[in-house]
Amino acid sequence: MAVGLGVLGVIFIVLAVLYALGVLQLFTSGPGNHYKHAILLVVLAVASFVAASFARPKTA
Amino acid sequence: MGLLQGASELFPVSSLGHAVLVPSLLRWSFKQTDPSFVPFLVLLHLGTATALLVIYRHEWVAIIRGFFTAAVRGEMRTDSERLAMLLLVGTIPAATLGVFLENRIKSLFTSPYEAAAFLVVNGVLMLGFEQLRRRTERRAAVASESRDEQESHFAQAERISFRAAALVGACQALAFFPGISRSGITIGGGLIAGLRHQEAARFSFLLATPVILGAGVVEVPQLFANGVPVGEYLAAAVLSGVAAYASARFLLRYFRSGRLDPYGWYCVAAGLASLALLRFSL
Repeated sequence: MAVGLGVLGVIFIVLAVLYALGVLQLFTSGPGNHYKHAILLVVLAVASFVAASFARPKTA
Repeated sequence: MGLLQGASELFPVSSLGHAVLVPSLLRWSFKQTDPSFVPFLVLLHLGTATALLVIYRHEWVAIIRGFFTAAVRGEMRTDSERLAMLLLVGTIPAATLGVFLENRIKSLFTSPYEAAAFLVVNGVLMLGFEQLRRRTERRAAVASESRDEQESHFAQAERISFRAAALVGACQALAFFPGISRSGITIGGGLIAGLRHQEAARFSFLLATPVILGAGVVEVPQLFANGVPVGEYLAAAVLSGVAAYASARFLLRYFRSGRLDPYGWYCVAAGLASLALLRFSL
């Protein structure tokens, strides 16, 4: 579970970079750099990493 | 506009709806179709967010500290840590919908008719939230108690479930429609989740801050690029912040025992009156 969430976080980071560079145009108003989408994906990545931290096995 | 936005932002009466309606009704020369209209509104919202940051400055320090502590530890131990995670969960739905539905939402900003209609819907929702709360109070057999006693049976913001926080956050996205109040819909969501009125207002105000700041970060640069009167806009943002500060202080006091009903009735009346005025060009 924790590994999956970590991987999801990495995917969000990659997508954020692609939106910021203007490579990805899905759900956007048109061509260009989409920093708003990038910021959102970074937030989602942070949330995924936090969730991964909560899901990881804890040492006593 | 600054005073209007600041005063109406935190009251559950939709600042955005008023920002679209009032200039149309009073025939102000403000062009709602101007590309700087939305960034201007965002700048006013930043004034509001600043007021909220000032009011909750100590709490935000604890929340930010709690966020990093809990994230690294992978476990929540204090109320501040739990609240930080609840705010993260509550922020994601509105932020996601806001980014992906931005263009559709912006197209709605130009129509005062839609703003007036949504204001009526907002009023009905506020009244509906209070009806649901009264039903809960009757079930809990606290309806005959005083308001302070009734409120004591409900929870603090830190005790809300993560599912409820996500739902309240999703409700927040409805406020992108002009006429639907962000604070109203989130306070109402908080009431349904079992929070006290004052705690629902507190959670709503805390939830608002990251979304408003985030929107400001991405929209404000457009404002400066359009060659608009930045000085006047900044003055309006300051006025908005002052009005928001006073409003927040009043509301936190009011919701110790007050309900959403007066705001619900106001929205229904104001929405219907606005529709009539717009229809008959009075």
